[in-house]
Amino acid sequence: MRLSCCLCILVALALLPGVLPRGTLESAAYPPEEKPGERNLAIVVNLNNPVENLSTPELRRIFLGERGHWPNPYGRRITLVMLEPGWPERAAVLSIIYQMSETEFNNYFLHGLFTGEVFVSPKTLASPEGVRKFIFNVPGAIGYLRESDVDKTVKVIRIDERLPDDKGYKFHVPLR
Amino acid sequence: MIRDTSFTFRSARLGTVSKKETIQKWTTGAGSWANVPWSVFSRYSSALLLLLVFCTVTVVGLFAIRDLRRADLEEQNMFTRSVLSLHRIAALQYQTQETRRSTLYALSTADSNLHVKYADQSREADHLVSEGIAAYLANARTPNEIDIGRRLQRDWSAYLSVRDEVLASILEGSTKEAVDLDLTGGVQSFDRVRHDLAEIERVYDQQASQQLASVDAISRRTILRVAGVLAITLAATIASVWAIQRSRMSGAIQLAKLQMEFVASVSHELRTPLAVISSAADNIADGVVKGKDELRKYGAAIQNQSRQMTELIDQILLFAATRNQRNHFVMRALPVSEILHSALQQTSGLAKASGFCVELEIAPGLPLIRGDASALVRCLQNMIVNAVKYSGKSRWIGVRAFLSDTELHGQREIQIAVRDRGMGIARLELPRIFEPFYRSPAVVAEQIHGTGLGLSLSKSIAEAMGGRLTAVSELGAGSVFTLHLPVVEDFQTNTDEHL
Repeated sequence: MRLSCCLCILVALALLPGVLPRGTLESAAYPPEEKPGERNLAIVVNLNNPVENLSTPELRRIFLGERGHWPNPYGRRITLVMLEPGWPERAAVLSIIYQMSETEFNNYFLHGLFTGEVFVSPKTLASPEGVRKFIFNVPGAIGYLRESDVDKTVKVIRIDERLPDDKGYKFHVPLR
Repeated sequence: MIRDTSFTFRSARLGTVSKKETIQKWTTGAGSWANVPWSVFSRYSSALLLLLVFCTVTVVGLFAIRDLRRADLEEQNMFTRSVLSLHRIAALQYQTQETRRSTLYALSTADSNLHVKYADQSREADHLVSEGIAAYLANARTPNEIDIGRRLQRDWSAYLSVRDEVLASILEGSTKEAVDLDLTGGVQSFDRVRHDLAEIERVYDQQASQQLASVDAISRRTILRVAGVLAITLAATIASVWAIQRSRMSGAIQLAKLQMEFVASVSHELRTPLAVISSAADNIADGVVKGKDELRKYGAAIQNQSRQMTELIDQILLFAATRNQRNHFVMRALPVSEILHSALQQTSGLAKASGFCVELEIAPGLPLIRGDASALVRCLQNMIVNAVKYSGKSRWIGVRAFLSDTELHGQREIQIAVRDRGMGIARLELPRIFEPFYRSPAVVAEQIHGTGLGLSLSKSIAEAMGGRLTAVSELGAGSVFTLHLPVVEDFQTNTDEHL
């Protein structure tokens, strides 16, 4: 009994870095200097995209790949952009929007593409800068960035009529 | 006959003119350019020719230098413009290719990160192209260049629109769609851009050719000018050397001719009295002369002729001594009247024999002059003898001494003027009468004897005394020869001087 408990604890400890968001342990040990908007997760689209606001369910449908195109007259194909696994932003999105784990997320899209339920699988970029540039180049792209990583090349949309700085904004991300 | 009178020195034939005006008009060596005789031009022809050559060569040389500088500047500008143009067009061509290359490279991978990287490269290159086009338009000068630049700008914008769609399709993962887009729209719009760039290159080529032709023309013109300058210089140098040689030869020939004439004249002048003396001596030796009175007459004739020969030889020796600068003048303060009376006494025999009336006027209270008495007397003698010889039919000579209104080198001067109403001297001859051995052709034609040394000697003496000798004349009316001598202000007597 004791031995099995010890073993469980050891396994849990071993799996802990893989479960906890990146930087959590470090942040607990060495809290970084926080930049303004660093905790807010902004949903960003191309500058030409006329969409200004999405509801959370609409956002989820888009992120789940259940919508193929933006509404007319814009009508551009929706391209979802994700950061690579390991980024806190990705973990936050998986947690808040998808409410899935990595494995569930991967399985979902594999299954969805195979069955045709999902129109397009998300693109994976290595860095927030790559996400920004991708969205800048693709008219129908949508992605997410820390608010502090947003610049003039992409547009932040409201979620449930709320911008990242507004009270009641739901999407936050731990510090790196 | 010598008359001492205080008449107003006035020329009936010359007109009532001021001495200063007359002297200024006719004085040897002076005069307006309008009156300079052709002989002066011919004498200085070599110098004038050299001056002309120098001016011509300088002017043409300056033009040649200006052309060279212009050609050099044109070349530099052409080179700079050509280099910049080449650089500009090369950069444009490269960056346009880069834009397209980066876009198409994105087709070769499925990695979204690489897609973004190639998209970045393409946008960076297209930004440089846009800058290049703007720079080209800013430097465009002709309407054709501006038109091509604007067309390139439009075509490039059109291509970029297609490129953006192609990039978007590639990033979205729609490779086939991207390829179709590029084939249908991208290739054609890019070809138009390439065509515009080729046209710009042709325009630059044309401009470079025109500039090269312009530089070539300037260079050829410059070469021709330089060759012309060299040819002119060579021709003018040859002409100058020939003119100088000819001038020297003619001068030497002239001098030799004058000397021969002098020898002939002196020979004649000496032979005539010698003939008289010889004839008289023969008569006396042959016993033809009988009475004392006749003997006295022959003796006087021999004396007279001997004196003439002596005077002639003295004159020649004095001239030689003056030319060799071996004179010993005894300079002292002299009263004018003393030398005038001495000169008139020496020539009284000649004047009386020729029936001349000499009017003498000496202004009262004249200051002393500086000079050698015998030299000054000789000088005045020559002037009076000349007046007698060249009076023609006139039998009047005027001699006047007065204090001048003008000053000589800041000193007061006395003028002794000897005037005749004889044949006068021609305008062209006047500058030459003081040259040694020179005799006017008119005088030779009149068979008036002389050696051509008298005036030259008188001028040398006058200058040795610190003065000068001037002449005023009108052909057919008479002449006035004036001896100018400085007044003694403070002088030590009995001073020997080598002059």
